[in-house]
Amino acid sequence: MTGDAGKAGEVFQKTVREAELRAAHGEPPADRLWFFRSARDRCLDASEAGLQAEAVEFEEHELSPAAPQQLSQLDCDQLAIWISSAPEPQRSALALFYLDEFNLRELMSILGLKVTELGALLASARRQFQAWLNATVPAEEG
Amino acid sequence: MNPLSSARQERALTECAPISGDNAFDRAMRHAIQRAQNSKEDSERFANQQAFDRAIVDLVRKIPVPSEVEALFASEHLVPAVKRSWKKTAQHPAILSGLLAIIVIAGIALFNFLEHLNDFPGSATAHKLLIAASTTRTSQLDAVQTDAGALSDLFFMKYRLEHCDVPPEFAQFRTLGCRVFDDEDGHRVAQVMLIEKHMQLFFFPVDKDPKTGRTPEFSGWRYVSQENWIGAVQERDGICFMAAMRGREKDLASYLPKKSE
Repeated sequence: MTGDAGKAGEVFQKTVREAELRAAHGEPPADRLWFFRSARDRCLDASEAGLQAEAVEFEEHELSPAAPQQLSQLDCDQLAIWISSAPEPQRSALALFYLDEFNLRELMSILGLKVTELGALLASARRQFQAWLNATVPAEEG
Repeated sequence: MNPLSSARQERALTECAPISGDNAFDRAMRHAIQRAQNSKEDSERFANQQAFDRAIVDLVRKIPVPSEVEALFASEHLVPAVKRSWKKTAQHPAILSGLLAIIVIAGIALFNFLEHLNDFPGSATAHKLLIAASTTRTSQLDAVQTDAGALSDLFFMKYRLEHCDVPPEFAQFRTLGCRVFDDEDGHRVAQVMLIEKHMQLFFFPVDKDPKTGRTPEFSGWRYVSQENWIGAVQERDGICFMAAMRGREKDLASYLPKKSE
């Protein structure tokens, strides 16, 4: 979400601290989704404070059967940076969807999106990422 | 929903299809996935999408977790559980509404219990006759001016009513009128109006116990009240006598022997 391990750690610490404070006052977070909502809000605040990515039109390619092989050549940091540079709410949608922790209802609840909006964000992100993959680690022929 | 928006919705669902089977999804999602897997146009796209998503998740799982975060997660209770005090628990809306419901139910039960505590054989009829007393006008009665104690012969001779003997406490009072009528349960009721404070006397039979077939008995005077009317009831030989007047128990008590029950 932040593209910066330091900022992410800070967000994590603040979120846990707030949960502790709430618990100490007898009002602990209602559910696990609270942590993700709270962390997301803090990430957005932290990102706004830093450099902003320029809004550009990304190229889009259809998903390739070779994508898993292309992805296997990527470093996880590259993926993290790519996601963190996506515009909101696509960035949050990608970060939470690929955590593979939530069902659809939970995702829509945390992000405040409808299923059509979430589907469109994920579909376009996949195609953009495929285009970026094709440019960065072209698929091996044959 | 029109077919176009339905197809759009279904397509959107497949775009959000869960990557692993662990995340429970609903029927609409299951249906959309099945359609995508069985469709000639969409099956390849969907298979590519699923493979792509799985590969991304594999990569996401390789992102190292900072050591300080890992240390925090290692402790069993990330957020310490706070034991709620009994005061907090008692103030919870669910508990409060539950308690309120119990208090209301207990109140109704207590009210019913107290209301039936003074019940006696014939008390239900006595209550109904107090209402009748409050609406009776002198003109509704046959004018009879005599001592109340003399009416037992009249009731027996004219209406074949036995045991309608006015107790000595009320026997000397002069009457304005009397009548005999059938109440709503078909019981023959004798009614007498006195000059004394327009007091009314009633004779009515006690219902037999349906289990034993016997007439329940009780001794002494029992009070009933209904809408500013008070009645004192006494039973003898299966017939209840009730003296009724507008007022309170102490107003009627002055006419009764002091050692009443």
